Amino acid sequence: MSTEMDHGAPSTEELAVLAGEATRNRHLIRLERIGDHLRREWQLYVLLLPTIIWLLVFLYKPMYGLQIAFKDYSVFRGVANSPWIGFDHFQQLFGSDQFVRALKNTVVISFMSLIFGFPMPILLALMFNEILHQTFKKSAQTIVYLPHFISSVIIAGIVITAFSPSAGIVNTVLGWLGVESIYFLTKAEWFRPIFVGTTIWQEAGFQSIVYLAAIAGVSPTLYESAVVDGASRWQMMWKITVPSIMPTIIIMLIIRIGNMLEVSFEMIILLYQPATYETADVINTFIYRQGLQGGQYDFASAAGLFNAVVAFVLVMTANTISKRYSRTSLW
Amino acid sequence: MSSVTLEKIVKSYGPIDVVHGIDLTIEPKEFVVLVGPSGCGKSTTLRMIAGLEEISGGTVSIGGRVVNRIAPKDRDVAMVFQNYALYPHLNVAENIAFGLRIRKEPKSKIEASVNEVGGILGLTEYLERRPADLSGGQRQRVAMGRAIVRRPQVFLFDEPLSNLDAKLRTQMRAEIKRLHKRLGVTSVYVTHDQVEAMTLADRIVVMNDGRIEQIGTPMELFLNPANSFVAGFLGSPPMNQIRATVAEGPAGPVAQFGGQALPLAPLPDLQNGVGREVIVGIRPEFAAVATGDVTDQIKIDMDLIETLGSEALLHATLDGDPFVIRTDTLGKLGVLDSVTGFTVAPELIKVFDGQTGAALAGQERRA
Repeated sequence: MSTEMDHGAPSTEELAVLAGEATRNRHLIRLERIGDHLRREWQLYVLLLPTIIWLLVFLYKPMYGLQIAFKDYSVFRGVANSPWIGFDHFQQLFGSDQFVRALKNTVVISFMSLIFGFPMPILLALMFNEILHQTFKKSAQTIVYLPHFISSVIIAGIVITAFSPSAGIVNTVLGWLGVESIYFLTKAEWFRPIFVGTTIWQEAGFQSIVYLAAIAGVSPTLYESAVVDGASRWQMMWKITVPSIMPTIIIMLIIRIGNMLEVSFEMIILLYQPATYETADVINTFIYRQGLQGGQYDFASAAGLFNAVVAFVLVMTANTISKRYSRTSLW
Repeated sequence: MSSVTLEKIVKSYGPIDVVHGIDLTIEPKEFVVLVGPSGCGKSTTLRMIAGLEEISGGTVSIGGRVVNRIAPKDRDVAMVFQNYALYPHLNVAENIAFGLRIRKEPKSKIEASVNEVGGILGLTEYLERRPADLSGGQRQRVAMGRAIVRRPQVFLFDEPLSNLDAKLRTQMRAEIKRLHKRLGVTSVYVTHDQVEAMTLADRIVVMNDGRIEQIGTPMELFLNPANSFVAGFLGSPPMNQIRATVAEGPAGPVAQFGGQALPLAPLPDLQNGVGREVIVGIRPEFAAVATGDVTDQIKIDMDLIETLGSEALLHATLDGDPFVIRTDTLGKLGVLDSVTGFTVAPELIKVFDGQTGAALAGQERRA
């Protein structure tokens, strides 16, 4: 009886062979499916190709160079042949007063931008949505979108001129009020408000387009129903529009938090000067000065990598929190 | 409960009039259905009552008070929309309570009202769910809950069942009817579905092209349509309509078409009416099927038979136009294939003027 059973049931080796064959078959079937899919949809992949190439060339390939953050990099020896030195650069980084100052400034400026800059496009979109006169609405939108299309250099030029102590409009107005001229752009305490205000002025209008699109997607019957229920325009804005666009707000907030440490580098370079380094120097300008101007590529890479890791942690955290509490997330 | 009165109501979009001076009085507690094809102005009329559309001319009164210039919230009406208009970010209880919260009612009252309405509509176990987690029927119930919780003077329904499947629609129709019986609130209901109109209404208002074609109880409209449009709109399938010329037959007037003659009732309008162009209307259920051996039958060309169980629809052509007969199947199924024509009693035939489409006088029937 038992002999018969032994013949009937496959041995462990046979089972392993069968399992291996099944896995191979599954792989073959999957490959065949992918092949079929590619043959059917190849045009879509051709369209996708330039973006993938761009990502690989400009975002992934440079990651190879990140290793110099852990090496004593020399231009002559190249990335591969420079000797490993572990976390020396990072130790040096955190021992550097300049880096700690840049880190602090980055965090402060980022938070100021987030607190004042993030709600501004939402408020603008809500206000645009309430304008009933179409011509006025379109004109206002154009005026508010316009600074986005102006080069940062020109924006910085406008700011420098506006705050100029001799002929700037701000000091002229202050003069009318009997206030003495202030050298705004040379005073460390004024840099952050000026910078944050400038970036809001430049980008808030353009960023409001995302929210306007989200508002356009809210069903008009929700408002009609609320009107019949007795809601005022104010109540409709806060009880219908804002909650309806909340998923968009959260997605934008996650993206914003992810980019938080990417403080507008060129605008700072254009506006700051040694007198304002104390409040204006951020990680990116620090990297720029150390890496490109000082030739310390490895040290600057360590600072850049630190920046990227913090940004990654921030975006992951924001996404997880959002997923848990609002059912909205990037992935 | 309040009455609703529309006097010479006009709605214009620029130079185009879409509602042309409608007069309508809806009695307190009455359930009136506005029915008509798409674009006939029924939803616009309802929205003018709600205050969601400005009134271009005439007056709307609710409970004897002219409300033309009164905001929707102060008209004491509640509206149920076609796509439910539920707030996706609020749960069922919050959706139902929305109107009360806006009006800053006390919390305890809101809670009690929501629980009561939840109980009436069978939503008690769903109060914590969001609209996305509900079925179509449940969402529709929440939309109704939001309307009834405010205890308004008038309910306005804008095609509330058209997003539901056929089975659920039948179920919800009955629920609306039951709810109206229970609450007795004056209701104005817009639909393009004549079955909904027939089953729900105390009175039906048939609209076409921004005008009222006829107002009456469902049976009045079914039996005595004022014109060929109403005749063709109400009834499922609708009334068959044949263009014919009146001639003198051996026993009175006949309608002649395609070489056949159909005896008509001796209506006053048909006296001396030889040669008059008319439209002859025959309800599918009033035509009796006839096989080859029946004399005096109107010949038809059979096309197909749709069996519905206890009855069947016979699709045929008469003089090139479609003609439908509704007949019992029990004991008849065997002969349906050999149907060659139909007979119909003259008093069951409706005759309309060939030019205006208006029903000729003297053919009113009682239910």
